[in-house]
Amino acid sequence: MSAAPIAAPAPERPLPTPTRESQPHWDGMREGRFLLQHCSGCGKVRHYPRPVCPHCFSMESEFKEASLGGAIHTWTVCHHPFNFFFKAAAPYIVALVDMDAGVRVNAPLRGVAEADLKIGKRVKMGFEPVNKEVTLPFFVSA
Amino acid sequence: MSHPLREKAAVSGIGETAYTRGTPKSALALQLEASLAAIADAGLNPRDIDGVVPYFPGGGIAEDFIANLGLPDLKLSLFVPMGGATCVAAIQSAAMAVATGVCNHVLIAVGRTGYSGARVSTRLQQFPQFALAAEFEAPIGMFAPAQLYAQGARRHMELYGTTARQFAEVAVVTRQHAILNGNVVMNKPLTVEEHHASRMISDPFRLFDCSLESDGGAAIVISRADRARDLRKPLVTIMGVAEGHPESPASIAQRPDLLEFGLVKSAPRAYAMAGVGPQDIDVAEIYDCFTFTVIRQLEILGFCKTGEGGPFVMDGRIGLGGALPLNTHGGLLSQGHVVGLNHAIELTRQLRGEAGRAQVKDAEVGLVTGYGDMGDGSIAILRRAA
Repeated sequence: MSAAPIAAPAPERPLPTPTRESQPHWDGMREGRFLLQHCSGCGKVRHYPRPVCPHCFSMESEFKEASLGGAIHTWTVCHHPFNFFFKAAAPYIVALVDMDAGVRVNAPLRGVAEADLKIGKRVKMGFEPVNKEVTLPFFVSA
Repeated sequence: MSHPLREKAAVSGIGETAYTRGTPKSALALQLEASLAAIADAGLNPRDIDGVVPYFPGGGIAEDFIANLGLPDLKLSLFVPMGGATCVAAIQSAAMAVATGVCNHVLIAVGRTGYSGARVSTRLQQFPQFALAAEFEAPIGMFAPAQLYAQGARRHMELYGTTARQFAEVAVVTRQHAILNGNVVMNKPLTVEEHHASRMISDPFRLFDCSLESDGGAAIVISRADRARDLRKPLVTIMGVAEGHPESPASIAQRPDLLEFGLVKSAPRAYAMAGVGPQDIDVAEIYDCFTFTVIRQLEILGFCKTGEGGPFVMDGRIGLGGALPLNTHGGLLSQGHVVGLNHAIELTRQLRGEAGRAQVKDAEVGLVTGYGDMGDGSIAILRRAA
């Protein structure tokens, strides 16, 4: 009796585990909307989501839809896949973007050559569903 | 008025294991082996230890030290959860404990199987401080410090013209120092060309910009200064010590200025406490998880202005015989990665005059930094007491 060769399990994509604070943000992503947490007391935006406003200490907040544009703050090009799931994608650019909405988002930048990267370059966020629950952001040139 | 903690505590003992890639020993065994060496170096009996700050996660907890060393009356058990800034920040906690009389001799100890055990991308998931990165950055392909810190390095290069050649200088000089030490993982010379040819990990960091994954243990004993004076080794006192936490401490991405580390807050406090400035420093052991991290810390420490760290490291300035010899043991880049406790050990050796072929002539005052956990920064300024 010969045993079937054991295939290595496919590497699993790391997925976010939403918290009670961040759930509305991820729900918005799933709907293709970029929702950010705003303090109900002083109106200031905060990201990543958390329970207390560090400016006025209010614990009341609401999520509002934000615009998708932004400018590159900095970037890295990931060559070594620290997680095997990303081996096929490497090398990939991850841009840290100053969103027009006043927060930063870190996400893959697609369709842009390394030579064309520069601080201040305009980009726009897109939405990529990875399963029924989770949609992740990416950027393209604006 | 003098700071109430200034020179009230001393580094009385230092100990380390061999630094290797591969070991049959557990992280706890390495941690205890180094602890016994540090206690013996101080001329103490293990039962004299009444406070312990184990590096966590990894290695043992206070219970392990009581059980293995037969500690009769442990009075203080602490974790200092600051990643790479832990060990030097722990010096502050330990100094407070001995200066106030809570403890007589506090042990700070690291045991790590970073090569033969869990590797960096797995280890970090044990840190609660990485929860935000796990939720928002790991899913888009950012896991490791090499990736998370690379964005700050890239921004520094774009804003100030810092170059890969300058990164390489840090790697090459550090390697030269490692070879003089002997107890190191990387014992062959490194050239600038070899640095530039090494594979890209996360741009702008190449392999030789990154610290080692290694196995080893390190430990130091902090004692009240008046007690340490009567112990076995020359007295090395803690002139200034501080920890600092940056804005947006658990997310680099949301930090207003990516290059403002916790050291921006802790360095001025430590200098003020010590009553010295950068011009008084004879030797510096700078946390070197990445080459760039050294360059930026030199700016924050006031050895040069922001943006001038790249040119500062060139022309022999940071080598033995230079104006500011640094990482005279080979650092995390070439000696081994025990979360920077090896930097505190090397500084103590330099100030005792025990650094062998890497000895900085007449070293009297030196500083050591810790950096990690997304940008926490700790610093200690030590002095050879007359």
